[in-house]
Amino acid sequence: MHRPLRAPLLLSCFALAAVACGDDGPGDPGSRDENPCASVATGGGGLGIVGCGEIRDRYTAELFVRGSTAYTTTWGQRSAGTQLQRGNAIYVWDVAGDAPQLVDSVIVAAGATTLGDVAVSDDGRWLVVAAEPGPLSLLVYDLANPREPVEVGRWNGGSGGHTAEIATIDGRLHAFVAVNSAITARPRLAIVDLGTPSQPREIHSRPLPATIVHDTHYRDGLLFLNLWDEGLTIVDVGGGGLGGTPAAPVDIGRVATVGGNAHNAWWFHDPQTNAKKYVFVGEEQAGAVPVTSGGDVHVVDISNPAQPREVAFYSVPGAGTHNFSVDEARGVLYAAYYNGGVRAIDVRGDLGTCTPAQKAPDGRCDLAKMGRELAVGLDGTVGVPGFDPPYVWGVHFAGGHVYASDMVNGLWKLRAAQR
Amino acid sequence: MHPSPHRTAVVAVAALTLAAPAAAQHDGHAPPVRDSSVRVAPVVWYVGATPVLTHATPTAGGRKLTEGYVAHPVAMLHAATPRGALSLQAMLNAEGLTLRRGELATGVFGEGYVDRRHPHAYLHEIVLTGATRAAGVHLSASAGRGFAPFGSDDPLVRPFTKFPVNHHHAQLLERLVAIGAVRVGAFTGEVGTFNGDEPLGPGAEPRWRRFGDSWATRLTWRPARAIAGLGALEVSGSFAAVRSPEDPDRVIGLDQRKWHAGARIERPTRVGALYALAEWARTTELDEGRPVFEYRSVLGEAALCGRRLHAALRLERTDRHEATRLEDLFRIPVPHDDVSIIGMTRWFTATMRLGTAPWSAGMLRATPFVEGSIASPQDLIPRAAFQSHGFYGSRQLWLLSTGIRLGVGAPHARMGRYGAATAPAGSHAGTHGGC
Repeated sequence: MHRPLRAPLLLSCFALAAVACGDDGPGDPGSRDENPCASVATGGGGLGIVGCGEIRDRYTAELFVRGSTAYTTTWGQRSAGTQLQRGNAIYVWDVAGDAPQLVDSVIVAAGATTLGDVAVSDDGRWLVVAAEPGPLSLLVYDLANPREPVEVGRWNGGSGGHTAEIATIDGRLHAFVAVNSAITARPRLAIVDLGTPSQPREIHSRPLPATIVHDTHYRDGLLFLNLWDEGLTIVDVGGGGLGGTPAAPVDIGRVATVGGNAHNAWWFHDPQTNAKKYVFVGEEQAGAVPVTSGGDVHVVDISNPAQPREVAFYSVPGAGTHNFSVDEARGVLYAAYYNGGVRAIDVRGDLGTCTPAQKAPDGRCDLAKMGRELAVGLDGTVGVPGFDPPYVWGVHFAGGHVYASDMVNGLWKLRAAQR
Repeated sequence: MHPSPHRTAVVAVAALTLAAPAAAQHDGHAPPVRDSSVRVAPVVWYVGATPVLTHATPTAGGRKLTEGYVAHPVAMLHAATPRGALSLQAMLNAEGLTLRRGELATGVFGEGYVDRRHPHAYLHEIVLTGATRAAGVHLSASAGRGFAPFGSDDPLVRPFTKFPVNHHHAQLLERLVAIGAVRVGAFTGEVGTFNGDEPLGPGAEPRWRRFGDSWATRLTWRPARAIAGLGALEVSGSFAAVRSPEDPDRVIGLDQRKWHAGARIERPTRVGALYALAEWARTTELDEGRPVFEYRSVLGEAALCGRRLHAALRLERTDRHEATRLEDLFRIPVPHDDVSIIGMTRWFTATMRLGTAPWSAGMLRATPFVEGSIASPQDLIPRAAFQSHGFYGSRQLWLLSTGIRLGVGAPHARMGRYGAATAPAGSHAGTHGGC
């Protein structure tokens, strides 16, 4: 059961939004008596700050934005004064204005210490959230009122859902859940039919004898599995022409990305050229949360999905990428980069052709050397006055803005990058 | 089919039951060094346990806890052919029954437990050794489940009841091992291979297919004659390459490179046997061959075991990684969900122990004790998610324990070496530093 907390209880700091902020510098979590979000907006162009919604009693995890409503999840444990707050909260935000306003929250009272992925179904009716450490692995909420999620279903996958992507296939909502390993269970991919959201039903389980699936990405009948050191695997679940279905997927091809640790993916459809050539793969290396990170963005050419190959990469020294969102109309990849903030990268055109000077020794094109970095925001090494250095978990491009979930500070609304 | 460890345990229990009690005597004095490989070695057994009451204030989550357990419920066996050509060393440990939730030990970590010591495997050790000697060269080959040739003695046979924080930096145990050892004069060399995975629980089988994926080597110097002022001296250095110890299926687990150096002395004094150990250890974790985290430890401990009273002191500075905790704040996920850490802490710990000399009642020996420690963690990564002061609510973390060590028979004097690598008889004062 969840316990909704009404907005007024958690909005006291935002009531101070009309009060000018002092230059109080970074403070202890939860100890602020002023809201620095009120004056944090910056001028300038791409990825400038429009506003923020501050959360400092829990670590913020993933986000999803639909219309004027955003949802953020929470992670791990955070010491707030003498209290230890778990990552068992879903926050609901009104993002119509410049500064996101917290309007509701849902606490998963038992069975969750981290809520990871969050996503809204295409029809806007259902909110699906991954849960750890297990056995609770997936939560489903009814969004009849988008600002007041009501829990309708739970699914126990064994040892927790590390990530959960959703897609509507043949009119039925499905979830692709990366189930953690446990002492008595190997990691696996579970495909869950959410056609009846109150009764999630597992229809496929893919055991992983030698790796994990960290995240998935679904589009047009293809499922992309991020299998850590095994790399990216492309699976037909209805659109690959090999007869695959969600209940009986068929593998198409696989590529081991450089450096391993394949973490997340995005299949880019360019509406200008109708090209569907590239998949961007995030690599997550070891770091210390929320201070350091490592790992590049890898560009995989899937012109022949049976034989995908890596052709380019993007790297930020001293920082590592996490989740993606793409403004496909403008051809801009937004990559959450933890302590590196948010990176906007021009991904239009041919990414696999470059000059010798723009190539790495292994022949891959370096997008940074190709001048494809468009903008940087929330760079943790630069910081934001009045805030602890950001550590960005996720990004979502929606409604012409970029939203960034910052584990340390909360939710940011940024200007989109300019080409 | 793999042999079941439970079946092996049953066999070992039967052997312990049938064995004749032939308790070795440890008088706390270091006689002239003898050669253990040619002495007549009888069957030696021991059964013991330590009921203990512990108060922690504060510990994880800022809580104050008082708990009681039966710690170290063990049965030990050492059996050898008359000239030591073959020997068996075994130990069963029932902590999986008596310490399922772990033993309060703020700062200690390992095998999914944090701020509690984990229960050890039921089949802690069963190692068969073949040894020979030719032209002054002692050779041995050992195989079974037990200690890799790395680091210092198991804390179980050192003076304190509470384990040090550095247990997982300074010992590698409960592995499937194959070890070769050679001793020439004062020098001993060991090389061993083993499975990198740590036990997943007291009754869990090791990953048999992982045998041989890790290795370790140790060089030890023991002067043939006592050095003035130092008594019996032992100096060792060791290295281990361990594959994915915390992720048994090597899915995303980090590998480890471990280094250890230690010096150990024992000598008689006017008031009793003196034991001291100083050690340094370093563990580097690697992801895809790249070093990502490094942990260091320095530890010094000493015990003076008089005719009436025993006293011991341990000072330690050890680094520990921090991971997201489960709803039970003393546990973390095993295997981990991710490769990142949420912090790193350096533990400064001082532990003092006072006890009496053993009381004897027939075959039973009883040693009452009190043990107290103060630990102070320091955050090594500013702004990391884990901040010790916020988590514990204090910078001084106290542990106070009292209990009684009970035993029948003769425990292993030392643990962690086999065959030609064992200390020659008489060069040590006995179990628990002679206390």
